[in-house]
Amino acid sequence: MEVEKFYYDNKIVRNFVVATIFWGIVGMAVGLLLAFLFLFPNLTEGISWLSYGRLRPLHTNAVIFAFVGNAIFAGVYYSSQRLLKARMFSDTLSKIHFWGWQLIILSAAITLPLGLTSTKEYAELEWPIDIAVAVVWLIFGINLIGTMIRRRQRHLYVALWFYLATFVTVTVLYVVNNLQIPVTFTKSYSVYSGVQDALVQWWYGHNAVAFFLTTPFLGLMYYFVPKAANRPIYSYRLSIVHFWSLIFIYIWAGPHHLLYTSLPAWAQSLGVAFSIMLLAPSWGGMINGLLTLRGAWDKVRTDPVLKFMVVAITGYGMATFEGPMLSLKNVNAIAHFTDWIVAHVHVGALAWNGFLAFGMIYWLVPRLFRTNLYSVKLANAHFWIGTLGIVLYTIPLYVAGFTQASMWRQFNPDGTLRYANFMETVVEIMPMYWLRAIGGTLYILGAFILLYNIVQTARSGSKVTDDAAEAMPLEKVSKSRVKSEGWHSWLERRPIKLTVYATIAILIGGMVQIIPSLLVDDYVPKISTVTPYTPLELEGRDLYIREGCVSCHTQMVRPFRSETERYGGEYSKSGEYIYDRPFLWGSKRTGPDLQRVGGKYSDSWHFNHMYSPESTSSGSIMPSYRWLITDELDTRHIEKKMEVLVQLGTPYTEEDIANARTSMQEQAKQIVENLYGDPDFVRTYEGEMAYAEENNLPFVKMEDREIVAMIAYLQRLGTDIRLESSNDGDEVTFND
Amino acid sequence: MNIMFLLLGVSLLVALIFLIIFIATVRSGQYDDMYTPSVRMLFEDGTPSDKNATENNKSKTTKNN
Amino acid sequence: MDKCFHCGDPCLSGSVKHRDKSFCCQGCATVFDILHDNDLSYYYELQDAPGTSPKISEQKYAYLDQQEIIDKLVEFTEDGVQVVSFVIPSMHCSSCIWVLEHLHKLEPNVRKAFVNFPKKSVRITYDSNSLSLRELVELLTRLGYEPNISLDDMDAKKASVDRSLVYKLGIAGFAFGNIMSLSLPDYFDLHDFWLSQFRPLFRYLMFCFSLPVVFYSASDYFINAYKGLRSKVLNIDFPLALGIAVLFIRSTYEVFLDSGSGFFDSLTGLVFFLLLGKFFQQKTYAFLSFERDYKSYFPIAVTLLRRTGEQVEEEQVPVYQLQKGDRILLRNEELLPADAVLIKGDAHIDYSFVTGESQPVHKHSGDKLFAGGRQQGSVLELEITKPVEQSYLTQLWSDEVFSKRRQTNFRTITDSISQRFTIAILLIAVLSTTFWLFYDASKALQVFTAVLIIACPCAIALSAPFTLGNLLRIYGKHEMYLKDAEVIERMAKVDTIVFDKTGTITSNKETKISYHGQPIPKELFPIIVSVLRGSNHPLSRGLYAHLNLEETIALDSFIEHTGKGMEATYQGTIIKIGSASFVGAATTEKEVNKTRVFIKVNGTIYGRYVFQNVYRKGVERLFEALAPNQELMVLSGDNDGEKKYLQTIFPKGTQMYFNQTPTNKLDFIKQLQADGKSVMMVGDGLNDAGALAQSDVGIVVSENVNVFSPACDGILAASQLVQLDKFIALSTRGIQIIKWSFIFSLFYNIIGTSFAVTGNLLPVVAAILMPLSSISIVAFTTFASRLSEKILNKEEKSKHDKSHRLEHATDIILQ
Repeated sequence: MEVEKFYYDNKIVRNFVVATIFWGIVGMAVGLLLAFLFLFPNLTEGISWLSYGRLRPLHTNAVIFAFVGNAIFAGVYYSSQRLLKARMFSDTLSKIHFWGWQLIILSAAITLPLGLTSTKEYAELEWPIDIAVAVVWLIFGINLIGTMIRRRQRHLYVALWFYLATFVTVTVLYVVNNLQIPVTFTKSYSVYSGVQDALVQWWYGHNAVAFFLTTPFLGLMYYFVPKAANRPIYSYRLSIVHFWSLIFIYIWAGPHHLLYTSLPAWAQSLGVAFSIMLLAPSWGGMINGLLTLRGAWDKVRTDPVLKFMVVAITGYGMATFEGPMLSLKNVNAIAHFTDWIVAHVHVGALAWNGFLAFGMIYWLVPRLFRTNLYSVKLANAHFWIGTLGIVLYTIPLYVAGFTQASMWRQFNPDGTLRYANFMETVVEIMPMYWLRAIGGTLYILGAFILLYNIVQTARSGSKVTDDAAEAMPLEKVSKSRVKSEGWHSWLERRPIKLTVYATIAILIGGMVQIIPSLLVDDYVPKISTVTPYTPLELEGRDLYIREGCVSCHTQMVRPFRSETERYGGEYSKSGEYIYDRPFLWGSKRTGPDLQRVGGKYSDSWHFNHMYSPESTSSGSIMPSYRWLITDELDTRHIEKKMEVLVQLGTPYTEEDIANARTSMQEQAKQIVENLYGDPDFVRTYEGEMAYAEENNLPFVKMEDREIVAMIAYLQRLGTDIRLESSNDGDEVTFND
Repeated sequence: MNIMFLLLGVSLLVALIFLIIFIATVRSGQYDDMYTPSVRMLFEDGTPSDKNATENNKSKTTKNN
Repeated sequence: MDKCFHCGDPCLSGSVKHRDKSFCCQGCATVFDILHDNDLSYYYELQDAPGTSPKISEQKYAYLDQQEIIDKLVEFTEDGVQVVSFVIPSMHCSSCIWVLEHLHKLEPNVRKAFVNFPKKSVRITYDSNSLSLRELVELLTRLGYEPNISLDDMDAKKASVDRSLVYKLGIAGFAFGNIMSLSLPDYFDLHDFWLSQFRPLFRYLMFCFSLPVVFYSASDYFINAYKGLRSKVLNIDFPLALGIAVLFIRSTYEVFLDSGSGFFDSLTGLVFFLLLGKFFQQKTYAFLSFERDYKSYFPIAVTLLRRTGEQVEEEQVPVYQLQKGDRILLRNEELLPADAVLIKGDAHIDYSFVTGESQPVHKHSGDKLFAGGRQQGSVLELEITKPVEQSYLTQLWSDEVFSKRRQTNFRTITDSISQRFTIAILLIAVLSTTFWLFYDASKALQVFTAVLIIACPCAIALSAPFTLGNLLRIYGKHEMYLKDAEVIERMAKVDTIVFDKTGTITSNKETKISYHGQPIPKELFPIIVSVLRGSNHPLSRGLYAHLNLEETIALDSFIEHTGKGMEATYQGTIIKIGSASFVGAATTEKEVNKTRVFIKVNGTIYGRYVFQNVYRKGVERLFEALAPNQELMVLSGDNDGEKKYLQTIFPKGTQMYFNQTPTNKLDFIKQLQADGKSVMMVGDGLNDAGALAQSDVGIVVSENVNVFSPACDGILAASQLVQLDKFIALSTRGIQIIKWSFIFSLFYNIIGTSFAVTGNLLPVVAAILMPLSSISIVAFTTFASRLSEKILNKEEKSKHDKSHRLEHATDIILQ
């Protein structure tokens, strides 16, 4: 057994670093555009693929999976090789992983603006991309675990445990949440409906935060903070304890995202319980990180890398303290659906993820190019601008959150709502949106400074594609040794094997488990009057999904007087959602809730509102959706869609499907008739038709346009339940 | 809520897997020494070939500090 | 005066300039070369002056060529690969870890070296065909990392680490976390639609989770309770076990008959907290051992002189093979393993291990030498008079104190209270049950169980572990390292403190040097200094440093008579420096025990430098502070030379005993205990070992906690001795805290019991009370004990740079 010389693969690390910076800036830029869309709703007037609803998921996906994702991989590939004293398991896998991941991001960047989305937050991508993600992720796992098996360092440093946990759990979560039945190559329906879908989504949604934004970054913290400070972690024991306690309980939290919704109360309590328990392990990490720098504050004062890390860890501490607080029912009652949540998320994202990534990059790149950082001054400048950005971003949004919450809940002495018109609550917080936009601008400015600084650094240095190192291989295990060492090194490789088997086992187990839940849920109390959507409404709903209306409008009236008052009498019952695939409860109310909007306004109102929201509700910051009014509705797949839903348990009959198109035409005609009630409409529409006729241009009849389907869906919303109480439904006649 | 069976099942399964891994790891003596690893990870692997590199890396960090 | 680049020691005589760096000795310079030439200079980048000056001695490790010794030492051998673990006391910083783990760069036949810093041990795998164990050890020694190999390593007892507590804790925590979340909805959403659908599933899940907790994690409590009962004691484990059992049985019953959700959360929580307490209480210092005997000091082998006909040949033999009448060689720095008579050579024996006296004693041929002494100087030839086990010192260990474990009849404060407590709750349970039997029989059983459940004294059981656990850490922080938590309780009871003199209340680091005689003319000093500079004898070096004169001259001639003195000439001046006999001075009787260096110039004896032990600073204050509460005594192995002085520093009427043999000391303590005294022995040397083991609290004073100290209950850094009174005060404070938290937790029990006896104990009540009481107890004890840390004053912490670095390390390990 000789000393083995080998080389660390720096190329892959470098690639991921480049990707991190690139996608980081892209993702933030999109975010910034969105921030400005709040201020100038028609900034991208008429361009469907630049409308708020479609870009919002692009922003979240870009920053989470592209920016943070690539940062994670860069850090993991750099640190794992050195902690394990081994080159990555396979360069080919590394390459596939890198390019695969970039392709996925690219396809996301194309499909999401095109409106191809499942609307499940952080899981919007359609099924073909989901599969690609799963495959690439698995490749990453194999590469990581393979390296662990080939390691030359017996002890697995705590960071590696965090990486391992990340891989296993994210695999499970992603697969379970993305079970869908395809209709076409670009359209699918979730196998879960309504409440169930919501539960799965947030079980995933929360753990995505946990295991994609937290555990891997804790791993990175445990590697890069000691390295940058050149002193061992404050307490290694604490880091171990903190890892295991985190792992044992994190997997449960999640339902707290659905407090006061139609989710079973006990499931909510369960979520709360866990979120509270999480405080301990989370802070374990923060304290450990900060105390590592105890006695090195002089370094911190001068070294930008450490500065970034300190702010990152502090941000982590704040976010992980705020989280459990928000999961308390009474706090949540106020904060949920407001900008408070947006602020909370961005403390985590901008400070914890963003700044840790920046610190890591500043530390990493000089080593990758064997040179010094081009300018420490610029790095410090970046730090201060970025920090200011975070402050200017979050604080106004907290204020906005409080303001909204309080305005939504205020009553006049006579028992009517103080601010009955939702618009008042929007207008009130516009200044805050301005400040937020400024904060965002500063933050992205910082990112550009980083870009410049890094490019210059790279220029001044020389690439080190392969970093030489040497180490002794682990001794081979032999009978006699096993005896004398108490089967030491035998069990050594055990955890890794276990992990692999475990993952497979979970996946199979999961699949088996799903079969019962594919059947219609016998636990959700039935409401006799709730019936499936008509074909036209179904198409309308898919438009609602395509345009991402759910990013600003909830469909969940919580059981508070303030909400039932505002949103029409009844709070939401789980029974109402049994045909919703996916659920569209939403998580943010930039606009009002739509659960009971059906029948609230006339069809013409909706028509005009979609054409120009300002015209019907002044002060509205909703962009106009002209293309809905001009474009022809694509009805090619309606039968296929219904068949898939039948598979999933929606009770469409054979003839329902056979008569789909006729039923659509009837319902459409009815709506157009209603529209004719509006003289302006008649004038413009007739004019258009005449114009097209004499210049014999192609002309799409109003009946065949998207807007009709959209109106049909909106008018249907929440009306079933009203039948139950008092049968005064006007345009619900089609329900027979 | 049949879905609960799935979620409970999966959550528990994952948790149990980790419990098993935990015990296996403790047994393997991974956690007998709770200090040295934290120092060991600080060492740069300097090999004759790129010795100077580690040095100018060091000098750099000192400059930054 | 500049510091050594390698080890950081001041560069005194014999310092070397080398590669524009200065080193305190040639050894350090060599190590620097070795590391530098193998480009291991990174060693010096990690820490400055990280090294330790190496002690070279060529023959020392010859015995490692002996197969039988090798077999004993190596962990395992297999086709040319050997694995061996060494303890290396000089390991102290990250550089040490690095260089030891890169040993293969210096010696390609080393395959792997793996350091455990807290244990100060390194595990080396090497190619035994091309590298012998001896070569390996000598390599380490050359680098200044001399491994400690002693007779102790010969009796192979590879203790396997017991990690069961960690498993138990892990499982309990895991189950507790999950059960909590499963039971919580049951408390808050009783009438929720879905819960009714899932309640059974949840309850069976909880039941499953609780099984490993009860039958594995909690097993110790049942076992101990049973043991206690057998020996007719109601220890704390009894009510605990009872509570756990009842909790489990009742909960299971409820679940299976669907009459309730049971108390599984309280059950698992209880076990979890209890184990947490246990875990917290066992604070161990991996780098210390409290179980050492003379074997840890004695060498494995000695050089035996075997006469075959005419010629004499040397041979390394294991010490336990030594017979009466064997002839052995004892080289410089070697330790005498058995009593012997000096045949040839000039002995300067350092008995510091045994007595704590650091100044070597001069012996002539024919004198009797005792085992445990270390030769300083030239080679000796000796004849063994007693085999190792029966030697003057070692026979001490044949005493039963060492064979049988310390009398375990010591009742901890917890056990003594649990006695009454248990009886009380059993009484309450029975009474309330009987009441309900008449009032509403249906509820009787439920009440009975409820009482036992809620009265389960988990808070009481936690008070002591957390208080003592905290105190242990505080003591550790102030360099008082205690064996276990029980020591603190015993310390609080101490009413008599017995001090050893030399090395305990006197320092064996610094010595007071005083000159007696006619004044020496100034012009002579340069010569004297130059002469001293030429010698490496500890006395010479000591005196050289004492005189501290820069200007030196080149002597015309210089001869050192090892162990006697030096003779030199300079421009006609003949100068002799050395022992009385060497310069031919008449010695007065009263000074005979003192260490002296005489100065003789051109036939006239000017005078002598007398080396005296220095009493540690602040001991007077210490004795004063102790006197009111404890009876003080002095028990010294030396003659009564300094009795007068001692009487001045000790309070009036302190009993003092001199010329005490190790066995005397042991018996003396026995006697005190027989008179019903509770004794603390404060000593340092092996000759105190018996007394230390016999006493209720045996504390060893140590200049450097990294070198071994004999078996004891606590190791105290010499610099902290003067705080002893405060340490004792702290222990009594600890006991007070525990008593307070008892009252505290009783109050919880009363509340709970009132629920129970009135027959309306809901699971949720238990679920709130149990963690609430536990957590508040933990908080209270922690807070209170941290508060009482103020008793100790920090600034007395030792500032010695190396031990300081280690402190930092251990400080981290303590977390």
